[in-house]
Order: sequence, then structure tokens, then C-alpha cells
Amino acid sequence: MFRRGRLLVLIVAALQVCFYLHAQENGTLKIAAAADLQPVLPALIAEFEQQSHQKVEASYASSATLATQILNGGPFDLFLSADLSFPQKVVAAGLADSAEPLPYARGTLVLWARNDSPVQPLSIESLRSSALRTVAVANAEHAPYGRAAKAAIAKLGLADALKGKLVVAENIAQTAQYADSGNADAGLISLTSALTPRLSADGKYVAMPEDSYPPLLQGAVVIKGGPAAEEAHQFLTFLLSPPIRKQLAERGLKAP
Amino acid sequence: MDQQAIFLTVRLATLTTLILLAISIPLGYWLAFGRARWKPLVEAAVALPLVLPPTVLGFYLLVLMGPRTAAGRAVSVVFGHPLAFSFAGLVVGSVLFSLPFAVQPMTSGFRSVDREILEAAELLSPGRGRILVRVLLPLIRPFLLTAAVLAFTHTVGEFGVVLMIGGNIPGVTRTLSISIYDQVQDFAYTQANHTALLLLGLSFLALLIIYGRRGRAGV
Repeated sequence: MFRRGRLLVLIVAALQVCFYLHAQENGTLKIAAAADLQPVLPALIAEFEQQSHQKVEASYASSATLATQILNGGPFDLFLSADLSFPQKVVAAGLADSAEPLPYARGTLVLWARNDSPVQPLSIESLRSSALRTVAVANAEHAPYGRAAKAAIAKLGLADALKGKLVVAENIAQTAQYADSGNADAGLISLTSALTPRLSADGKYVAMPEDSYPPLLQGAVVIKGGPAAEEAHQFLTFLLSPPIRKQLAERGLKAP
Repeated sequence: MDQQAIFLTVRLATLTTLILLAISIPLGYWLAFGRARWKPLVEAAVALPLVLPPTVLGFYLLVLMGPRTAAGRAVSVVFGHPLAFSFAGLVVGSVLFSLPFAVQPMTSGFRSVDREILEAAELLSPGRGRILVRVLLPLIRPFLLTAAVLAFTHTVGEFGVVLMIGGNIPGVTRTLSISIYDQVQDFAYTQANHTALLLLGLSFLALLIIYGRRGRAGV
């Protein structure tokens, strides 16, 4: 019994050492990416990995979630936010290796609904329709697209028409999920989600008027002293290169 | 502190506890005394929420019970709206999620009753219902309390399911756990700390009640 226990401890210890060595040797570039990048980034990462033979891992969440994690020591090398305010917080905390976030893209807010939604045919006026029961939006406090949606609703005078109809998702990817699963009749989502093959097949979108919300400028910061800070800068250069810019535009993110 | 979230959470946990007690008394009785061959199937099903991540439940409630399936549309007819983004949806989620926390104490309670007392009761006062109410339930009162407190506190502590199906609507689905999450996201650490401390205190008190009584009852 005693021997078996000791063997078990030995095996566990050996496994720990293996994991530790593995984590040490590969020097993975860890990216904290805003949820609107979830439909876009994996393909770009694959391309970057092929070009540079550098391993990349991305974690997706709302920009505020990621900023909170970074401010509390989250192990990231690069923060790709969906706005400028959250990377500015990282700069203010002295955790960024630049004095300003670098704008890398501009997002677009769209109204999206399933083809079988009661509000089809879809237009901005659908938001005033009495057939509309629920609209999914992202959390205005911690998701930049949610903030944009809130601004647009106010600017277009839709607040009364939408009273009691808004359901709030944690991030913009979940907002799209609420609308695509049919649980919400429509959603104010990112163009990046609306352009995915799945949502293109399931429904239609109309862009919200560009002057109805402050531009969704998306900023990046490299985390100071991160183990892969150099690789993070390489990735940013890659992201801003003309062919990748073009790909981003096709997938819903304009040049800043 | 988010008072609306406090009231909502207390309302949700109270309703869930009442429903769970109504379910777990007959179910616990049957699990303790029943002789069906397929009893392990039911026991395993009841214990599932203990091992499954809440996201599994959230996923099925959102997609399988959503407006795109027949089951989901049937639910919509019953409640008048889809389960997601509604208080009723949270109640359904909480009842499923906290089921083992109510059923398992009740089952152990019924199992702990002395066979001889049960046989004597059967001789003296016939009728299963009467024995249950007059003899069994008073005997297993500490277990009943444990079931109620655990069901209540576990519902208060629920997060994953609510995050997935709630829609964060103030007064309808924004529970305390979601409120804390939002406060942390918004860098409102002081507020988050106040809410969190309240929960920490109440939860500790609830568990203290259970263990304190257990100590005295020698259960």
C-alpha cells in the first residue's frame, strides 16, 4: 500500500515536471482577444503560425473581462481590445510597453435576425415593430459593441420602443448566439459575427447607421515584460500588413 | 449594493427550495424504500448536476429548450414565452441544477430511520401518507433542514447557468452572482466586495446552522 502510494506521488511529480518543461520550452504567444475577433482571428493565427513557426494561443472574452485579467496578472503577451478605453486602462496601470494603444481595426455594429424571425424583412425600422419581442445586445458596461448599441438606441430615439425588450449578453459573441439560437428575435451584433458562414446562412443583417454610435476603434497593446513580447510585436505588424488588412475588411473589420 | 439583485436572488432561491422540497420528499422516500430494479438509473440521473459543468445544463436549456425545437415551443406555450431571459427559466434551471442537494439529504434521512419504528408505525397507524407526515418527517427533521438550506444556498451560488440563459435583466434575471461578476468587470471592486462579503457571511451562517444542529442531534 505504502509503495503504491509512493509510486503514485512519483508519477504525479513526473507529470508536473513534464508539463512545466513543455510550458517553458515552446514560448507560446498568448493573445487576449475581444469576442468580436472570435470569428476572424483563428484563420489569421493559423496563417501567422505557418509564416513564423511561432505558436499562438488566443483567449476570447469581452474586452472588460480581458482587461480585468491583465490588470490582475493574467499571463498574456498581447491584448487586442474592441475599443481604446480598455487598453488605455492597461497603459494607465503601467502594464503596456507603449504610451498609447495602437488602433488596428474599426468594428461595425449591425442589426441581425434569423430568416424565420417575426421581424423579417429586416430594416432599422424593425426595431420599432410590435412583432419584435426581444433584442439581444452586449453589456454596455464591459463590451464595446454593447456601448455602441446603447448609443445607437439613444441616438435613433429607439429607447421607448425597445423598453423591456433588451436582453443583455456577456459579450458580443454571446449576443450573436442569443439571436442565432432564436431565443432573441434579433440582435445588435458585430459585423464579424454576421459575416460568418453560419450566421450568413441563418439570417440577414443591416448595418446600423455609422453616425448613430461613436466609431468602434479597436486598440492593441503589448504587455510589458511578457515572455513573448517580441513575438507580440511581430503579430501586430502582421495584423497591420496590407494583405491581412484586406482579409480583415472582408470579414467585418475595416482599417482604423 | 444591488438591492434589486438581492430581492431577486432571495425570491428565486425561496421558490426553488419550495419546489425542490415538494419533489425531494416523495423522490427521497422512493429512493430509500423503493425496490424497483431501475432505481440506480434514477439515482444516477439525480446526481448528474453534481458532476456536470453548469454549461451543459445552460447549453441544453438555451438550445434544446429554445424556440427552434418542438420541446422548446411546447415550453413556450406553457409559460407564454421562451425559457431563456425569464424568471421562470431561471427557476427551471435552478431546480435542475440543485436537485441532488435536496434529494440526497432526504434519501439519507429516510434511510436512517429505524426499521422497527417504521414497522411499529405501520401496525399502529395504517396509511403510507399518514406515516410519512406523522412519523417519518418529524424523525428526519434535521435532514429536511439540510436539504432546504443546501437547496437555497446552492441556488444563491448559481452562476454558470444564469450567465448562459439569463440575459442579465435587472429585476428579472440579474442575480447576485451576476451582479458581482458585472461589478468586477466594471472595476467597481468596492461594491463587488460588499456584495461578496454579504454572500460569504450568509453562506457561512447557513452552513453553521446545519453543522450546529447536526452536532447536537448527533446525526
